[in-house]
Amino acid sequence: MAAVEYIGRKTAFWTVGRLRIAGVIAALAVWELAGLSGLFFNDVLPSAFRILRAMGQLLVSREFYEHLGVTVFEVLTSFVLGAVTGTAAGLALGISRRAGDIFEPFIHYLAPTPKIVFLPILLVLFGVGMGSKIALGSISCFFPMALNIAAGVREVSPTLLRVGRTFSLTRSQTIRMIYLPALIPAVATGLRIGLAVSIVGCLLSEYKLARAGMGFLAGQYGDKFAIAHMLAVLIFIFILASLGNAVIARFVRLPGPGDRGSVRLAFDK
Amino acid sequence: MADVKQAPVLRLKDVAKTFVTPHGNVRAVEPVTLDIRQGEFISIIGPSGCGKSTLMNIVGGLIEDYEGSVEVDGIQVRGCHKEVGMVFQEESAFPWRTALNNVTFPMEAAGITKEERVQRAMELLHLVGLDGFENRFPAELSGGMRQRIAIARTLAFRPRILLMDEPFAALDEQTRLLLGDKVLQIQQELNQTTMLITHNIAEAVQLSDRVLIMSFRPGRIKRVVEIDLPHPRSSKMMGGERFGQLVAAIWEDLREEASKGLQELERVRG
Repeated sequence: MAAVEYIGRKTAFWTVGRLRIAGVIAALAVWELAGLSGLFFNDVLPSAFRILRAMGQLLVSREFYEHLGVTVFEVLTSFVLGAVTGTAAGLALGISRRAGDIFEPFIHYLAPTPKIVFLPILLVLFGVGMGSKIALGSISCFFPMALNIAAGVREVSPTLLRVGRTFSLTRSQTIRMIYLPALIPAVATGLRIGLAVSIVGCLLSEYKLARAGMGFLAGQYGDKFAIAHMLAVLIFIFILASLGNAVIARFVRLPGPGDRGSVRLAFDK
Repeated sequence: MADVKQAPVLRLKDVAKTFVTPHGNVRAVEPVTLDIRQGEFISIIGPSGCGKSTLMNIVGGLIEDYEGSVEVDGIQVRGCHKEVGMVFQEESAFPWRTALNNVTFPMEAAGITKEERVQRAMELLHLVGLDGFENRFPAELSGGMRQRIAIARTLAFRPRILLMDEPFAALDEQTRLLLGDKVLQIQQELNQTTMLITHNIAEAVQLSDRVLIMSFRPGRIKRVVEIDLPHPRSSKMMGGERFGQLVAAIWEDLREEASKGLQELERVRG
């Protein structure tokens, strides 16, 4: 049924999936060998089995779930705040040429600035608790969201908009039937990058100064030189980030080949 | 009632357009007066920059600021109008909609019930020869098929007048000829009043009842050529003697304008 067939690849043993797994196994083997070689101080490269054991220990400790809960709450809150404000700003910048001309350069220059430099200010404003973490995560998420949406609005095909005009679409129909679906790819990209940087923002600020959270926990283990536990925490963060990414990829997308017309957008009644 | 019937479907009265630019005013279209009868197929042909697309955008309502008047069935119109449907040269199928849902698009906007719009869209897909492709997305279809979706979608609005702005320009020659046959067949079947913008002489002769030759800037109608080839026509007639004569006659007029356009282009670039 696939529209594109990869001729000759079907029978090949080294499929993309298998190569990926092989890559992971190879990396693990190098890691283990380096650890066993004795070239490093004890515990700098803990064996994968010790990391797995540390993960197991974390999973049965109540304390871990408290830290996890704090971080998940911070990330989700900052993600929602950053995505909503970023979308609003992106729409304004994209729709109003003037607003775009005036403000977009600032956003472009601020976007790559490490937001962690704002943490001292945010600590004073919002305290050592979750407030400052959520603030930093939101600020981080805001920029990629705003820039992607602004670019997305400007890239909506003028021909599709002309088609809408010739069919005498009302303003709200134009937004619902053309702009919204046309913006979905930009929204998805903005959300995925936004989620990643809001996770980074929350964890970095937890690592720097906090009383709870995954970043704080990883920092504590690091200070105690409990590398296996520190890496175990990082692996859990990695898993959560991947899950978040997969959810966005699965639900924020346009129908396309493969859907066989069964998937309809909520706003395409 | 009798008066209404006799009135042309589309009437342009002294339609003209001047674009105001920072470098001064550009006269794009000199006053054009034109009547199109019910079921007539006319082509407007001219060199690049002759204002033919401007004229089409005025009739289609995308340009609202112009001189003169456009009447549909004797009623003056300005702005986009559901009696006038447009097909563009560029890709215009919504990539996130299946062929079927592309065709239902204008009917959704007009609030037609789902049952009716699906039924009508299936009929139109059949008309343009896309049976069996209704659940395919544009990315899965060829350029010619996507352009047929655009035509079916425009017809879904049941426009009195179908405007096509170089709809085959992005297609290869063979697809263009076959699609030309298809358009002509549809036009005959629906008795659809059609106005085609093109720069392809053979295409204009193959499809039209009348070919309007436009001059280089400012655009005005230089000559009208009646195409007296009998119907039903097809791209097979291209080898015929009369076909050749008509193409030669149009080229005779067009060559002068095209070379003016080329000189202008070289002057600007040089």
